[in-house]
Amino acid sequence: MAQATALSAVLSNLSKAAEKQELFGIAERFNELAGLVDGNQARDPSLEALRAEVARDGERDYPALQTAGAEAGDRGVLRAVKWGEKVTTAQRALMDRYASKGDALLEGKQLFLCEACGFIFLGDDPPEICPVCKAPAPRFSNVK
Amino acid sequence: MYASRNIRLCNKDCVCLFVCPTGATDTETGQIDRLACVDGCRLCVDACPSHAIHLVLERYPEPAPRQVALAESMLALCERKSHEERTALAIAEAAPTAGAARVARALARSARILAEDCAREAGYMIPQCEATRELLSQIATDHDGKIRSIAEELIEVTAPGR
Repeated sequence: MAQATALSAVLSNLSKAAEKQELFGIAERFNELAGLVDGNQARDPSLEALRAEVARDGERDYPALQTAGAEAGDRGVLRAVKWGEKVTTAQRALMDRYASKGDALLEGKQLFLCEACGFIFLGDDPPEICPVCKAPAPRFSNVK
Repeated sequence: MYASRNIRLCNKDCVCLFVCPTGATDTETGQIDRLACVDGCRLCVDACPSHAIHLVLERYPEPAPRQVALAESMLALCERKSHEERTALAIAEAAPTAGAARVARALARSARILAEDCAREAGYMIPQCEATRELLSQIATDHDGKIRSIAEELIEVTAPGR
Protein backbone atom coordinates (compact mmCIF):
# COMPACT_ATOMS: atom_id res chain seq x y z
CA MET A 1 0.00 0.00 0.00
CA ALA A 2 1.34 3.40 -1.01
CA GLN A 3 2.27 5.72 1.85
CA ALA A 4 0.91 9.25 2.05
CA THR A 5 3.97 10.94 0.55
CA ALA A 6 4.00 8.76 -2.55
CA LEU A 7 0.24 8.68 -3.07
CA SER A 8 0.04 11.71 -5.31
CA ALA A 9 2.72 10.40 -7.70
CA VAL A 10 1.08 6.95 -7.80
CA LEU A 11 -2.19 8.60 -8.81
CA SER A 12 -0.70 11.01 -11.36
CA ASN A 13 1.08 8.02 -12.92
CA LEU A 14 -2.30 6.29 -13.24
CA SER A 15 -3.68 9.45 -14.83
CA LYS A 16 -1.01 9.25 -17.51
CA ALA A 17 -1.74 5.53 -18.02
CA ALA A 18 -5.43 6.34 -18.51
CA GLU A 19 -4.57 9.10 -20.98
CA LYS A 20 -2.51 6.68 -23.06
CA GLN A 21 -5.59 4.43 -23.24
CA GLU A 22 -7.56 7.50 -24.38
CA LEU A 23 -9.67 7.32 -21.21
CA PHE A 24 -9.55 11.08 -20.81
CA GLY A 25 -12.36 11.42 -18.26
CA ILE A 26 -10.75 8.82 -16.00
CA ALA A 27 -7.35 10.50 -16.47
CA GLU A 28 -8.80 13.79 -15.30
CA ARG A 29 -10.32 12.20 -12.19
CA PHE A 30 -7.03 10.51 -11.24
CA ASN A 31 -5.28 13.85 -11.61
CA GLU A 32 -7.86 15.58 -9.47
CA LEU A 33 -7.41 12.92 -6.79
CA ALA A 34 -3.60 13.29 -7.05
CA GLY A 35 -3.99 17.02 -6.37
CA LEU A 36 -6.31 16.46 -3.41
CA VAL A 37 -4.03 13.99 -1.59
CA ASP A 38 -0.87 16.01 -2.27
CA GLY A 39 0.08 17.25 1.16
CA ASN A 40 2.72 18.26 3.65
CA GLN A 41 5.66 20.53 2.97
CA ALA A 42 9.35 19.73 3.22
CA ARG A 43 11.14 20.50 6.49
CA ASP A 44 14.42 21.81 5.11
CA PRO A 45 13.82 23.56 1.80
CA SER A 46 17.44 24.17 0.83
CA LEU A 47 19.34 23.16 -2.28
CA GLU A 48 21.97 21.54 -0.02
CA ALA A 49 19.32 19.35 1.61
CA LEU A 50 17.94 18.32 -1.76
CA ARG A 51 21.45 17.66 -3.05
CA ALA A 52 22.03 15.33 -0.09
CA GLU A 53 18.74 13.48 -0.64
CA VAL A 54 19.47 12.94 -4.32
CA ALA A 55 23.06 11.91 -3.61
CA ARG A 56 21.86 9.24 -1.19
CA ASP A 57 19.64 7.69 -3.87
CA GLY A 58 22.58 7.58 -6.23
CA GLU A 59 24.97 6.05 -3.76
CA ARG A 60 22.68 3.72 -1.85
CA ASP A 61 19.21 3.10 -3.27
CA TYR A 62 19.94 2.65 -6.97
CA PRO A 63 22.89 0.25 -6.50
CA ALA A 64 20.83 -1.82 -4.01
CA LEU A 65 17.86 -1.97 -6.41
CA GLN A 66 20.16 -2.82 -9.29
CA THR A 67 21.45 -5.84 -7.37
CA ALA A 68 17.97 -6.93 -6.26
CA GLY A 69 16.54 -6.47 -9.75
CA ALA A 70 19.35 -8.47 -11.35
CA GLU A 71 18.95 -11.29 -8.81
CA ALA A 72 15.22 -11.50 -9.51
CA GLY A 73 15.75 -11.18 -13.27
CA ASP A 74 13.30 -8.28 -13.22
CA ARG A 75 14.03 -6.25 -16.33
CA GLY A 76 11.32 -3.67 -15.63
CA VAL A 77 13.02 -2.75 -12.38
CA LEU A 78 16.42 -2.77 -14.08
CA ARG A 79 15.08 -0.40 -16.75
CA ALA A 80 13.67 2.01 -14.17
CA VAL A 81 16.91 1.89 -12.19
CA LYS A 82 18.99 2.59 -15.29
CA TRP A 83 16.92 5.62 -16.29
CA GLY A 84 16.57 6.83 -12.71
CA GLU A 85 20.30 6.67 -12.03
CA LYS A 86 21.11 8.71 -15.13
CA VAL A 87 18.39 11.28 -14.46
CA THR A 88 19.56 11.58 -10.85
CA THR A 89 23.11 12.19 -12.05
CA ALA A 90 21.82 14.99 -14.31
CA GLN A 91 19.89 16.48 -11.36
CA ARG A 92 23.06 16.49 -9.23
CA ALA A 93 25.08 18.05 -12.04
CA LEU A 94 22.52 20.84 -12.43
CA MET A 95 22.50 21.53 -8.68
CA ASP A 96 26.31 21.60 -8.55
CA ARG A 97 26.61 23.90 -11.53
CA TYR A 98 23.92 26.22 -10.20
CA ALA A 99 25.54 26.27 -6.76
CA SER A 100 28.83 27.43 -8.23
CA LYS A 101 27.60 29.82 -10.93
CA GLY A 102 24.20 31.03 -9.71
CA ASP A 103 21.79 32.69 -12.15
CA ALA A 104 24.64 33.28 -14.62
CA LEU A 105 24.39 29.56 -15.45
CA LEU A 106 20.95 30.08 -16.96
CA GLU A 107 21.71 33.24 -18.91
CA GLY A 108 20.28 32.97 -22.41
CA LYS A 109 19.65 29.24 -21.85
CA GLN A 110 16.48 27.19 -21.57
CA LEU A 111 15.80 24.35 -19.14
CA PHE A 112 14.32 21.39 -20.98
CA LEU A 113 12.67 18.44 -19.24
CA CYS A 114 12.06 15.03 -20.82
CA GLU A 115 8.44 14.20 -19.96
CA ALA A 116 9.12 10.50 -20.47
CA CYS A 117 12.02 9.97 -18.05
CA GLY A 118 12.64 13.26 -16.18
CA PHE A 119 16.03 14.07 -17.75
CA ILE A 120 16.92 17.78 -17.42
CA PHE A 121 18.87 19.53 -20.16
CA LEU A 122 20.24 23.07 -20.14
CA GLY A 123 20.74 24.56 -23.62
CA ASP A 124 19.31 26.50 -26.55
CA ASP A 125 17.19 23.68 -27.98
CA PRO A 126 16.03 20.32 -26.65
CA PRO A 127 18.20 17.34 -27.68
CA GLU A 128 17.00 15.56 -30.82
CA ILE A 129 16.83 12.34 -28.82
CA CYS A 130 16.81 12.07 -25.03
CA PRO A 131 20.21 10.65 -24.01
CA VAL A 132 18.58 8.68 -21.19
CA CYS A 133 15.40 7.17 -22.62
CA LYS A 134 15.71 7.96 -26.38
CA ALA A 135 12.42 9.86 -26.55
CA PRO A 136 12.32 12.36 -29.45
CA ALA A 137 12.61 16.17 -29.06
CA PRO A 138 8.82 16.84 -28.97
CA ARG A 139 8.69 14.92 -25.65
CA PHE A 140 10.72 17.70 -24.02
CA SER A 141 9.01 20.65 -22.36
CA ASN A 142 10.57 24.00 -21.60
CA VAL A 143 10.52 24.76 -17.85
CA LYS A 144 9.78 28.44 -17.32
CA MET B 1 -10.41 -2.53 -30.07
CA TYR B 2 -10.49 0.57 -32.21
CA ALA B 3 -7.93 2.48 -34.28
CA SER B 4 -6.49 5.81 -33.22
CA ARG B 5 -4.36 8.24 -35.24
CA ASN B 6 -1.35 10.11 -33.83
CA ILE B 7 -1.73 13.35 -35.76
CA ARG B 8 1.89 14.34 -35.06
CA LEU B 9 3.19 11.30 -36.93
CA CYS B 10 0.65 11.41 -39.77
CA ASN B 11 2.23 12.38 -43.16
CA LYS B 12 -1.20 12.73 -44.81
CA ASP B 13 -0.56 9.93 -47.28
CA CYS B 14 -4.21 9.07 -46.65
CA VAL B 15 -3.80 5.37 -47.46
CA CYS B 16 -6.07 4.70 -44.47
CA LEU B 17 -8.90 6.19 -46.54
CA PHE B 18 -8.37 3.55 -49.23
CA VAL B 19 -8.43 0.55 -46.90
CA CYS B 20 -11.11 1.46 -44.37
CA PRO B 21 -14.30 -0.47 -45.13
CA THR B 22 -16.56 1.94 -43.19
CA GLY B 23 -15.02 5.35 -43.84
CA ALA B 24 -14.14 5.71 -40.15
CA THR B 25 -10.69 7.09 -41.02
CA ASP B 26 -12.10 9.93 -43.18
CA THR B 27 -13.29 12.65 -40.82
CA GLU B 28 -13.11 16.43 -40.59
CA THR B 29 -11.44 16.32 -37.13
CA GLY B 30 -8.38 14.29 -38.11
CA GLN B 31 -9.41 11.66 -35.58
CA ILE B 32 -10.73 8.23 -36.49
CA ASP B 33 -14.44 7.82 -35.79
CA ARG B 34 -14.30 5.12 -33.14
CA LEU B 35 -18.00 4.33 -33.39
CA ALA B 36 -17.65 3.56 -37.10
CA CYS B 37 -14.35 1.69 -36.60
CA VAL B 38 -14.60 -2.10 -37.01
CA ASP B 39 -13.51 -3.88 -33.82
CA GLY B 40 -9.98 -5.27 -34.25
CA CYS B 41 -9.95 -4.78 -38.06
CA ARG B 42 -6.53 -3.05 -38.11
CA LEU B 43 -6.37 -2.65 -41.93
CA CYS B 44 -5.46 1.05 -41.54
CA VAL B 45 -2.88 0.26 -38.84
CA ASP B 46 -1.00 -2.04 -41.21
CA ALA B 47 -1.48 0.10 -44.32
CA CYS B 48 -0.33 3.43 -42.88
CA PRO B 49 3.11 4.28 -44.39
CA SER B 50 3.96 6.64 -41.54
CA HIS B 51 2.97 4.23 -38.73
CA ALA B 52 0.69 6.87 -37.29
CA ILE B 53 -2.24 4.59 -36.39
CA HIS B 54 -2.42 2.18 -33.48
CA LEU B 55 -5.11 0.08 -31.82
CA VAL B 56 -6.59 1.08 -28.49
CA LEU B 57 -7.74 -1.84 -26.37
CA GLU B 58 -10.90 -1.98 -24.31
CA ARG B 59 -9.34 -4.48 -21.91
CA TYR B 60 -5.77 -4.66 -20.74
CA PRO B 61 -4.11 -7.64 -19.04
CA GLU B 62 -2.91 -7.65 -15.43
CA PRO B 63 0.74 -6.56 -15.30
CA ALA B 64 3.27 -9.41 -15.08
CA PRO B 65 3.70 -10.54 -11.46
CA ARG B 66 6.65 -9.08 -9.59
CA GLN B 67 8.51 -10.16 -6.45
CA VAL B 68 6.74 -8.58 -3.48
CA ALA B 69 9.96 -7.36 -1.84
CA LEU B 70 11.07 -5.74 -5.07
CA ALA B 71 7.72 -3.98 -5.55
CA GLU B 72 8.01 -2.68 -1.98
CA SER B 73 11.50 -1.37 -2.67
CA MET B 74 10.23 0.47 -5.74
CA LEU B 75 7.45 1.99 -3.67
CA ALA B 76 9.99 3.07 -1.03
CA LEU B 77 11.99 4.80 -3.77
CA CYS B 78 8.75 6.40 -5.00
CA GLU B 79 8.39 7.80 -1.45
CA ARG B 80 11.88 9.26 -1.55
CA LYS B 81 11.37 10.81 -4.98
CA SER B 82 8.08 12.31 -3.81
CA HIS B 83 9.85 13.76 -0.80
CA GLU B 84 12.50 15.25 -3.07
CA GLU B 85 9.74 16.79 -5.18
CA ARG B 86 8.30 18.44 -2.05
CA THR B 87 11.72 19.77 -1.07
CA ALA B 88 12.24 21.18 -4.58
CA LEU B 89 8.79 22.81 -4.60
CA ALA B 90 9.49 24.43 -1.24
CA ILE B 91 12.81 25.71 -2.57
CA ALA B 92 11.02 27.16 -5.61
CA GLU B 93 8.52 28.93 -3.39
CA ALA B 94 11.18 30.54 -1.19
CA ALA B 95 13.73 31.10 -3.97
CA PRO B 96 15.50 34.49 -3.83
CA THR B 97 15.93 34.77 -7.62
CA ALA B 98 13.93 33.81 -10.71
CA GLY B 99 16.77 31.53 -11.79
CA ALA B 100 16.81 29.62 -8.51
CA ALA B 101 13.04 29.15 -8.76
CA ARG B 102 13.32 27.86 -12.33
CA VAL B 103 16.01 25.34 -11.42
CA ALA B 104 13.94 24.15 -8.44
CA ARG B 105 10.80 23.81 -10.57
CA ALA B 106 12.70 21.71 -13.11
CA LEU B 107 14.04 19.51 -10.30
CA ALA B 108 10.55 19.13 -8.82
CA ARG B 109 9.03 18.05 -12.14
CA SER B 110 11.92 15.69 -12.78
CA ALA B 111 11.47 14.13 -9.32
CA ARG B 112 7.74 13.69 -9.98
CA ILE B 113 8.42 11.83 -13.23
CA LEU B 114 10.91 9.54 -11.43
CA ALA B 115 8.37 8.94 -8.65
CA GLU B 116 5.73 8.05 -11.23
CA ASP B 117 8.06 5.59 -12.93
CA CYS B 118 8.76 3.94 -9.56
CA ALA B 119 4.99 3.73 -8.92
CA ARG B 120 4.54 2.02 -12.26
CA GLU B 121 7.24 -0.55 -11.48
CA ALA B 122 5.82 -1.00 -7.98
CA GLY B 123 2.75 -2.49 -9.66
CA TYR B 124 0.47 0.51 -10.20
CA MET B 125 0.73 0.05 -13.95
CA ILE B 126 -2.78 0.86 -15.19
CA PRO B 127 -6.08 2.09 -13.71
CA GLN B 128 -7.72 -1.31 -14.24
CA CYS B 129 -5.16 -3.52 -12.44
CA GLU B 130 -5.73 -5.24 -9.11
CA ALA B 131 -3.13 -3.16 -7.22
CA THR B 132 -4.81 0.07 -8.31
CA ARG B 133 -8.23 -1.17 -7.32
CA GLU B 134 -6.98 -2.12 -3.85
CA LEU B 135 -5.37 1.30 -3.50
CA LEU B 136 -8.58 3.08 -4.51
CA SER B 137 -10.56 1.04 -1.96
CA GLN B 138 -8.06 1.99 0.72
CA ILE B 139 -8.30 5.68 -0.22
CA ALA B 140 -12.09 5.49 -0.09
CA THR B 141 -11.90 3.88 3.38
CA ASP B 142 -9.37 6.37 4.75
CA HIS B 143 -11.04 9.56 3.53
CA ASP B 144 -14.35 11.38 3.46
CA GLY B 145 -15.90 13.94 1.22
CA LYS B 146 -14.57 14.65 -2.23
CA ILE B 147 -11.57 12.30 -2.02
CA ARG B 148 -13.80 9.38 -1.11
CA SER B 149 -16.37 10.14 -3.77
CA ILE B 150 -13.78 10.38 -6.55
CA ALA B 151 -12.09 7.15 -5.38
CA GLU B 152 -15.47 5.36 -5.37
CA GLU B 153 -16.31 6.71 -8.80
CA LEU B 154 -12.95 5.48 -10.14
CA ILE B 155 -13.47 2.02 -8.65
CA GLU B 156 -16.72 1.84 -10.55
CA VAL B 157 -15.52 3.12 -13.93
CA THR B 158 -12.38 0.94 -13.92
CA ALA B 159 -14.23 -2.24 -12.92
CA PRO B 160 -13.53 -5.33 -15.07
CA GLY B 161 -16.05 -5.61 -17.87
CA ARG B 162 -16.51 -1.86 -18.22
